[in-house]
Amino acid sequence: MHPLRHPRNAIFVGLLFVTIGAIYWGVQYVAGWEVDYAGVTLLVLLGVAMAVMAYVLIAGSPND
Amino acid sequence: MTTESHALTTTDHSPVAGLSHDTSGGISNVVLGMLLFLTSEVMFFAGLFAAYFAVRAKTELWPPLNPETGGQFHLEILPLVGPATFILILSSLTCQMAVWAIRRGDHVAFVRNIAVTFLIGVTFLVMQAIDYVELGAEGLTMASGPYGTTYFTLTGFHGAHVFGGVVMLGVVLYRGMAGQFSARHHDAVEATSLYWHFVDVVWILLFSLLYLLPGKGHI
Repeated sequence: MHPLRHPRNAIFVGLLFVTIGAIYWGVQYVAGWEVDYAGVTLLVLLGVAMAVMAYVLIAGSPND
Repeated sequence: MTTESHALTTTDHSPVAGLSHDTSGGISNVVLGMLLFLTSEVMFFAGLFAAYFAVRAKTELWPPLNPETGGQFHLEILPLVGPATFILILSSLTCQMAVWAIRRGDHVAFVRNIAVTFLIGVTFLVMQAIDYVELGAEGLTMASGPYGTTYFTLTGFHGAHVFGGVVMLGVVLYRGMAGQFSARHHDAVEATSLYWHFVDVVWILLFSLLYLLPGKGHI
């Protein structure tokens, strides 16, 4: 199996969105604005959902 | 593809091939379906959590005042919710022990652990129902403004998911007692386990949000 196709790598897809959520939170926090936790929550949990989807796509694909 | 319940897979490997990262690839239809369902469920609860934060952000005082007592609403961790949280976390462990047991073909341990998980699920629902009655007696209901609405919507939908999980566990328990699962064929057990872990994680997030997150604008 190619290393990139290991199902474990699905976590990186999720981390991408979690990172965007963290930046979204960080910018508001540093700027002193009222933090939009609704948006942060949606971005972080979108990362979880995306990671599961990526896992399904990678693990569900045949290697032959 | 074979005539068995496996998509994109060969005939000679575990039904949870995808989860165990076997070399031939593939994932069982049942586990695949459950994972896709859980993906949609993640976004379902994300919407509820986001709504909670949106409502909270628009409120000066959170928790708000209880019009019946004049004081702020206060959610008690003891004596019900804390223990309920503990046993729900414990049930994830017993559920996983059941999965490990059936993977090695230990039917006795499998049935015992699934039965314990099922009973814990029922107990959690009973404790939640008692908590609802007590909160109602203290004046917190669905009609108690945004606070009551968000609290009962979040915990109510989670309770509905626990009920669904208990039904799944009941079916798995019945089928397990009937000897319908083996070390090679136990897709339903794996899928139910995934669902139960998901419900558990959602409750931990809910508990942290509703019971541990400090309020704002305290008087």
